[in-house]
Amino acid sequence: MSGGYITNGWPWVWAAYGVTAFLLTTYAVSLFVRLKKDRPE
Amino acid sequence: MKAIPNHRYPRMPYLFLIAGLLCLLAGSYLGLFVAPPEHYMGDVQRIMYVHVPTAWNWMLAVIFAFLSAVAYLFTGNIKWDARAEAALEVSSLLALMLCCQGSIWAKPTWGVWWDWDPRLTSVAVLLFAFLGVIALRNAVDDPVKRATWGAVTTIIASVDLPIVYFSVKWWNSLHQLQSSPATVSKSFHLPLRLNAFAILFLMTGFIMLRARIASRRLAHELTEPPIEVAGELA
Repeated sequence: MSGGYITNGWPWVWAAYGVTAFLLTTYAVSLFVRLKKDRPE
Repeated sequence: MKAIPNHRYPRMPYLFLIAGLLCLLAGSYLGLFVAPPEHYMGDVQRIMYVHVPTAWNWMLAVIFAFLSAVAYLFTGNIKWDARAEAALEVSSLLALMLCCQGSIWAKPTWGVWWDWDPRLTSVAVLLFAFLGVIALRNAVDDPVKRATWGAVTTIIASVDLPIVYFSVKWWNSLHQLQSSPATVSKSFHLPLRLNAFAILFLMTGFIMLRARIASRRLAHELTEPPIEVAGELA
């Protein structure tokens, strides 16, 4: 922080977007796997 | 208890997911590379473009879980139990995302990853309450008991949602008050709104697909012969 202004914020931004993308993708994959497994014959 | 209907629009959830992904790419591009940095928080404020839409849609998912639970108790229609089960899981995902994004924002702005502030604590309580409801549902084999107990515990857990919303007004909270279009610069509106629709579409698609998984399992459970009869047949 410099004079009340937060500097060097990009690593935090990438971390937040990365966690969001990871959780959304992982959940989507888990749904597709479960749907495929439970597909009626 | 009534039967589960067939899915009338099988491709609808996939359309929601595609629309959500496109909005998320556009909103995130604008939020990361086009919108200006905020006056005090600088680039860290760009986390707002995913954090705030996640919070709004998490609240919607909790409300949907609550309404589905109430609808099941009033109608006895098992399709509402499948929807409640889906909303419980998706709202827990959104709450987890919310806590992770909030922690990453808190470290550079507040100096800590977590604080037992009323807003953060009430969100964590609701997340763990919903995880408890999911665990309870997984422990019950009888679909009717599972649906009834799940609905009652979902309603009890959802009482925390108004506390989450008003916590920043009722108590001296470290978390800021709710923003409105009047308190947010116009240059921030478009990425925020695009990402709000993105998470809304993704959440809707996820709930529809998850409800489909629950419906299939329930249909299988409800058509299975009772264990005693199955034993006699064998």
